[in-house]
Amino acid sequence: MLTTAPRLRIRRPSPTTAEFTVTTLPPRTLPLRLLWLLLLVLRISLSLVALLILYARWVQERSSFGGATAQLPSSSSSPPPPPLLSLDRLVFALDAFQSTPAGTLLARIAASVSLPVLLPVAAAVFYALSLRVHKEESLLVLRGLGVQTSESPATYLAGAATRFIPTEKIQDILVNEAFLGFEVRYYLVVVVEGEENVVVVFPGLLPRRKIVETVWRGVRECLYEGRGEDRVDKSGG
Amino acid sequence: MVEHDGLMRVFWPTDIRKSDRTGVVVGWRNSTLDVFVVTILEDVDVRPSVPNFSPSKSPSLASSQSGLMANTSTRHLQAHNVEFHLRSGTFFRSSPHSPSRIYELCGHSSMHVLGVSNAATQDAIDPSWVCAKTSTYSRYPRISCAKASSIQLILYDRPHPKGMQYISLNPIALALGDKGTLPEDVASSEDDSEEAKQEKAMKENRRKLVEKLKQHSIVRRVASARDKALPKIVNQVNWSWELEQALQQNVGRLGPRPKRGLSVSERVVESATTMRNYVLVQLWTLFSVYLFPIVQKAFVLVLLFHRMVAEIFLIILEFRAKPGYAALKDISATAQQTEIRLQQFCYWPMQYVTLRQRKANWASVTTSHPDYIRFYNSLWLVANDVIIGMAVGSYIIEHKDWVADQIRDLLRTYTVEALQRGISWLMGWPAGLKLNGELAAFLGDLFLWVIDYWSSCIETLSPMLPHIIWFIGFSSFAGASMPIAMFSDLLSVLTLHIYSFYLASARIYHWQLTILRSLFHLFRGKKHNVLRNRIDSCDYDLDQLLVGTILFTLLFFLLPTVMVFYLNFAIARMIIISLKAGFDTLLSCLNHFPLFALMLRLKDPSRLPGGIHFELRDTHYPTSPDANDNLLDETPTSIIYLKNIPLPFRDMFHQYFQMAHRIRKHYLSPRVLLCLVTGQFVPPINRKNLYSLQYSMLPARRATVWEMWRAVNTEIDIPQKKPFQMPNIPQLQNGGKRPTGFGRTRS
Repeated sequence: MLTTAPRLRIRRPSPTTAEFTVTTLPPRTLPLRLLWLLLLVLRISLSLVALLILYARWVQERSSFGGATAQLPSSSSSPPPPPLLSLDRLVFALDAFQSTPAGTLLARIAASVSLPVLLPVAAAVFYALSLRVHKEESLLVLRGLGVQTSESPATYLAGAATRFIPTEKIQDILVNEAFLGFEVRYYLVVVVEGEENVVVVFPGLLPRRKIVETVWRGVRECLYEGRGEDRVDKSGG
Repeated sequence: MVEHDGLMRVFWPTDIRKSDRTGVVVGWRNSTLDVFVVTILEDVDVRPSVPNFSPSKSPSLASSQSGLMANTSTRHLQAHNVEFHLRSGTFFRSSPHSPSRIYELCGHSSMHVLGVSNAATQDAIDPSWVCAKTSTYSRYPRISCAKASSIQLILYDRPHPKGMQYISLNPIALALGDKGTLPEDVASSEDDSEEAKQEKAMKENRRKLVEKLKQHSIVRRVASARDKALPKIVNQVNWSWELEQALQQNVGRLGPRPKRGLSVSERVVESATTMRNYVLVQLWTLFSVYLFPIVQKAFVLVLLFHRMVAEIFLIILEFRAKPGYAALKDISATAQQTEIRLQQFCYWPMQYVTLRQRKANWASVTTSHPDYIRFYNSLWLVANDVIIGMAVGSYIIEHKDWVADQIRDLLRTYTVEALQRGISWLMGWPAGLKLNGELAAFLGDLFLWVIDYWSSCIETLSPMLPHIIWFIGFSSFAGASMPIAMFSDLLSVLTLHIYSFYLASARIYHWQLTILRSLFHLFRGKKHNVLRNRIDSCDYDLDQLLVGTILFTLLFFLLPTVMVFYLNFAIARMIIISLKAGFDTLLSCLNHFPLFALMLRLKDPSRLPGGIHFELRDTHYPTSPDANDNLLDETPTSIIYLKNIPLPFRDMFHQYFQMAHRIRKHYLSPRVLLCLVTGQFVPPINRKNLYSLQYSMLPARRATVWEMWRAVNTEIDIPQKKPFQMPNIPQLQNGGKRPTGFGRTRS
């Protein structure tokens, strides 16, 4: 529902510049947008719950560490709330939340799990909540400059990993086939001069042959066609 | 030429001044349709007064248009005027450094006029000229050119050379790259020849594959001038800021000087500053002529003396009785640590001189930036080391008795008592295993006796321990790495008995295994043919077979007893090795952690370039109310943003990853496990591999004393800058730039 089979999106503002993006993001429709919103709310609330559990545990640890002195001010009459938009206010609100039924429930959960288990689990939860739903990989072709591959990272926290290959270094661009499990996949490779490894375009998604062929033709046209001195060759790869 | 596919490429700085005024676009023309814009010189004119000098910022359409119309005829003239001045180098006449360096790095003999901005008509201009249209409203300029059928507009951020920012195609190298194989390591590189052979074979395979791939390429495309221009363009981007400053400062030289003289208040300010500057210059000369050279000479002499002492120590540390024998620094961690510090000390003056030469050139020359990072990284690490060392040292010295007691306790508990307990446990049937009691008692008694002797030796030495601890604490004022290295050495000295037990038991175990193997062959009626290195059948006599079989049975039943003793000491030895590995890791962190690079990465990522990347921007112009829109025919334009990739954290720790990989490959390989199981000596990892990290920041060959003396004494001709920043005189009110003839630069 949230992802589709890899599909191709082409941006081509001028004939010599093109960006081919293969993405698993389906076309935007109203239900999908609503679903996205729901997912976002879910992510935020879940991470909030995880944070609150961690905070509750921290408060418990602190009170067991600091001893009875920490207990005294809380038992006395409630002090006036600190001014809005300050760090103290945040702490105040958190402490107020601790006394609500939901807060006590979270505190009980936090107390029941031992610390060496709680911390890795919390880290895993945060990582899982920051994972991207869809993948996006693109190839930017600039005549006279080169090609640039980029992959969207696994989480929302990191930036896209890009690799730029100048035209001088491009030895060839071709479509190759390889076995993957029990199927044959076609994939686009850039052969870089003076390097041992070829660069695979769209390495994570490995789209279908039709898309790969379209991209290959587009790249050829964008980079070389009409340059005058070399003919367009029919076969490659 | 290749260029006539109608693609025009324009590099355009993002921070260029956006205004509606006319101007001349100046930059580099890499080929006919490949231009690199540095700046726009606005209001360059031959005539003293023009209508568009109006200070009002609001772009009143009618007035600017009439101004444009009036200027059309002169614009052509003024562009040629600019071209003439660019060729004759007027702009760089007052620059502190020679402009030839610019031309050399940017690949042209002079800058070019690339076109005009905000021109009213396109009649009078050259067809290959760029017509740019900028306004304060639109984010991107609109480019058109008569010859171009499509346009790539590449926006770039100017790196700030004074802040040592720059871009580069390849990631910045934090380690020194000029490592050849050190001559001393040639002899020791043979022991892991098997790994090396495998690696070589794999490389050969890959090379063949790459060759094959080359044959698959059908068309060999010749790179056009535009393709080849990329390295040049990177340099031009790096130079762009300084060039822009020079051009904008000196733009006033093109026109006539303003007719108006200085006002009275300006004159008063000028004479007052002249007086102040005169006094300050006199004081400075007094200092720099009489006092400074003496101090400098004394400092250099002290430095030279230290360098000579360091040289003597280094010679002692690196002395080898024979090539291939171990030097002192190979045996002891302390010696190695001392050697690294001395080498660093020898390298610093050379580095410092290199860095000072940087000041004698344009700031945009980026070749010495990695040197700068390396130099300050090592300085910072040493300073950190000393600070931590002082804390540790004062603690150790204050509590030296307590520390000595602790160490004595630890030694007694773990290297004597635990070992004794373990041996006695093995002597009576351990874990229900029925070992051979007599052999176990013999071996156990042997080891226990040696342990007793050893512990008595330690006891006699123990009154010395506080003094040793005090010495270690004192040495830590030279850095926290020193006590760590010393503790590492102390550990290997105080566990010498475990090492010898391990060697002895391994030897016995290995012999027994070898005998068992050959007797097993005999048992089967075969034997190992040494000449052909194979198993041949052999007819044994009956008595030979009988004795052999009896011996085989005997040895086979004794094997478990020997094996448990061997395993006991092998495990103890492994624990010590891993402890020492921990110390080594700590040392390498203290010596070579890329702290400075990490801080730079946080503070200013563009100082650590890791390559470039491009971003395709959406092309939709805001509908501007400008009436001149229809004059520009719509050429398909793509807007691309050139960005710098900051060096990824992975690359900063590349050396560490490499070292971890090597260690893992060496110690977790099946060969080593086999050695451990069969009781053979586990070959230690090649020191060159292990300490490649330690030496990656130092040159392969250190500079000699004489070279240092020469380097320190050569005068660097740093251009005589104006000694003081002149006070800023307010800009003239007539809108134009003030001509800067009197050194009153830096607006």
